[in-house]
Amino acid sequence: MMTVVAFENVTKDYRTGFRKKKTALKDFSLAVKEGEVFGFLGPNGAGKSTSIKILLNLIFPTSGVAEILGTSAGNAEVRRFVGYLPENPYFYDYLNPMELLQFAGKTSGMLAGDIRERTENLLQTVGLWKERKRPIRNYSKGMVQRTGLALALIHNPKIVILDEPMTGLDPIGRRQVIDLILKLKSEGKTIFFSSHILEDIERVCDRIGILVNGSLVRTLTVASEHLDKSLEDVFIEEVEKAGGIQQ
Amino acid sequence: MRALLIAILVLALALAANAVAITKVSRERDALKKEEGTGLLFPSSIAKIIALEFKGLVADALFSRAQTFYGGKLMRKEDLSEEEWSWIYKSADTATDLDPYFLDPYYFGAVNLAWEANRVKEANTLLEKALRYRTWDWTIPFYLGFNHFYFLQDNEKASEYLMEASRRPGSSSLMVDLAVKLSYKVKRTENAIIFLENILKRTDDEKLRREYETRILALKRLLYLENGVAFYREKFGKKPKGLEELIQRKIINEIPADPYGGAFHLDAQGRVSSTSNFMTIYTHK
Amino acid sequence: MMRAWAVALITFKEGIKNRVIFGIFIIALLLFAATTLITTLFMRDIVKVAVDLSLSTVSFAGLLTLFFVGVNLFSKDIDKRTIYMVISRPISRSQYLVGKFLGLLLLALTVGFLLGALSALPVIMSKRFYYYTEARFAWDVFFIAVVYIFIKLAIVSSIITFFASLTSNSFMTLVLAMVTYLIGESTEGVRSLLTSGIEAQTVSPLLSSLVNIAYYVFPNMSAFDLKTQAAHGLPVSLAYMSWTALYALVYITAVVAAGTLFFRRREFP
Repeated sequence: MMTVVAFENVTKDYRTGFRKKKTALKDFSLAVKEGEVFGFLGPNGAGKSTSIKILLNLIFPTSGVAEILGTSAGNAEVRRFVGYLPENPYFYDYLNPMELLQFAGKTSGMLAGDIRERTENLLQTVGLWKERKRPIRNYSKGMVQRTGLALALIHNPKIVILDEPMTGLDPIGRRQVIDLILKLKSEGKTIFFSSHILEDIERVCDRIGILVNGSLVRTLTVASEHLDKSLEDVFIEEVEKAGGIQQ
Repeated sequence: MRALLIAILVLALALAANAVAITKVSRERDALKKEEGTGLLFPSSIAKIIALEFKGLVADALFSRAQTFYGGKLMRKEDLSEEEWSWIYKSADTATDLDPYFLDPYYFGAVNLAWEANRVKEANTLLEKALRYRTWDWTIPFYLGFNHFYFLQDNEKASEYLMEASRRPGSSSLMVDLAVKLSYKVKRTENAIIFLENILKRTDDEKLRREYETRILALKRLLYLENGVAFYREKFGKKPKGLEELIQRKIINEIPADPYGGAFHLDAQGRVSSTSNFMTIYTHK
Repeated sequence: MMRAWAVALITFKEGIKNRVIFGIFIIALLLFAATTLITTLFMRDIVKVAVDLSLSTVSFAGLLTLFFVGVNLFSKDIDKRTIYMVISRPISRSQYLVGKFLGLLLLALTVGFLLGALSALPVIMSKRFYYYTEARFAWDVFFIAVVYIFIKLAIVSSIITFFASLTSNSFMTLVLAMVTYLIGESTEGVRSLLTSGIEAQTVSPLLSSLVNIAYYVFPNMSAFDLKTQAAHGLPVSLAYMSWTALYALVYITAVVAAGTLFFRRREFP
């Protein structure tokens, strides 16, 4: 099976002061296979969002290479196959989801007819079809999150990247997202998502990576290793091994 | 409930006090502004930079300010001091440096500066600028011609200007006629009347019209007397000793009154003159 | 470039719905109304004054739009993190920046042309009120002046784009763009001041060369101010229009291109 997302020795440093720097990612290497649902686990500030943003070319690695479908993540074209839901999504206040999806579809190279069709499908699926003409300003957090999902999926991407997709959702909403992820998996899509809700990760993922203080300390397949310990225990164990959470 | 009543009471008192205060303040402001007099002026080169892309607008504002000041003085029937006239001239000058096609300051300068302030040189400097820029406008050289003829007694220059006017669109054949007449240097009073009657035709302002009409009347009476004197000389071969002789010899019936309040008489050189102001300006260099 | 255009449309839509635009329009309309009153203060050149006021209003409104809505359209993306939804699409940094610039341009075009058309009203009224024989006015020059106001706004848009590519701080972008505009409006005046008679002798060669450099680096905005021509119906030659339009095009291209160079290395953590 081919690798669709790859990180090769990616390091990301931030300058925090005159001569001080913070390392958000340390020598990070990972390969996600096609059709896999890969879950990213880690305490806050571990570097989950950082690695995702490198994939989307929002930030550049200090060293190392990030690739999507064998092409550098810096190549804008490859994002035609990537759907992204950011951690706290914000959209243009005065626009409504129809306009946003229109924009998203056009920029991802979709045809007008396809955009219309998929817009209706998606908005129905996430339950926003009735509110589709209202501007985002008036949306609740949950509704904004669902709009984000629609935007991530409008162009039927091969790879779906979700950064803390459960934020702001009530239990029903969370359930819907899980069902959606499972549905996408059945369609053969690759899903890469970060979360700190252990049960959700356990539920949908094939493989899990634990990130602590910028380093990938452990990867494990969900099927194994639960015989003796719960995921929670594994997680806490790895955090302690790494010397606790460093700010 | 009590808080509401107090709030209303305070508001009522404040409003009443405000009415009193603003009346006092406006009185004080009037007094202060009288002291202030005129406003700030920048040299043209600086003004042009400060005005950025709004030069036309600044020109309008500058000139309007000068005009309003002048109008205020007029309403209060006050004369302007020399400084104030200088300020008006500089305002018009800067305004026309910002927009050299702007007619109002040129017109104002030509008329008011020359006639009221007796600042003919400045009026002409402004008009010269207008001449260079308002190349389609025949009235500019016309006013220049008049000023040179009437105030500066320079018939030659006046003639040149009138010829320039005749070359510009919209001018009448009068320009050429007058230019030719002036080149003869005689019949000054007649030419002045022709000039002024033409200016009168183009003047809308009531006050100015009355002034011109009075002047034309004075000149016509002067002309009448000058013709009488010329007739006497031709007939009797010598100059009359006084205007009364014209009446004695039945050349004229009576000496007409000078609308400016002076008395027509013959001066030492035997020329018709009047004791009023109108003659001094007329012959002033 | 379809993608840059998609960004442009979305930027324009977001901008045009901003309440500030509504306020700017109200101000402009009030100024147009005031024009008809103010012209009565003058004696003869009434039409000139009406044109001065009308066109200045259009220009002023356009500048307000760009400085207070346009700048914001850039900084909001960063502050409010809406840039994520755009950059995560298959859009390069350059396409994004060019798209934003085009969005600002559309905004300026809308405001400029709408108000430009309305500005004809006070002028028509003043012409009916009093139009003396030696006055000169021509509608074609008037509308050329309106077009040139838009060209100037296009340049300001490119300047805002450039500074926004350097900094995400909206205040800095605003100040830098305003200062550049002010310098651009003054370079021609200062340059001629320094080369005219008296001043030419007392000015230091260092100052002289600095002013010259500024003249070439900063946009010569005065070249796009045709208000005096419009006020007096003075003709504008084809050669003038060709060269100034070319200058604008080239300057804008250079500035936006420079912006994309800087923007490529910007990160959005």
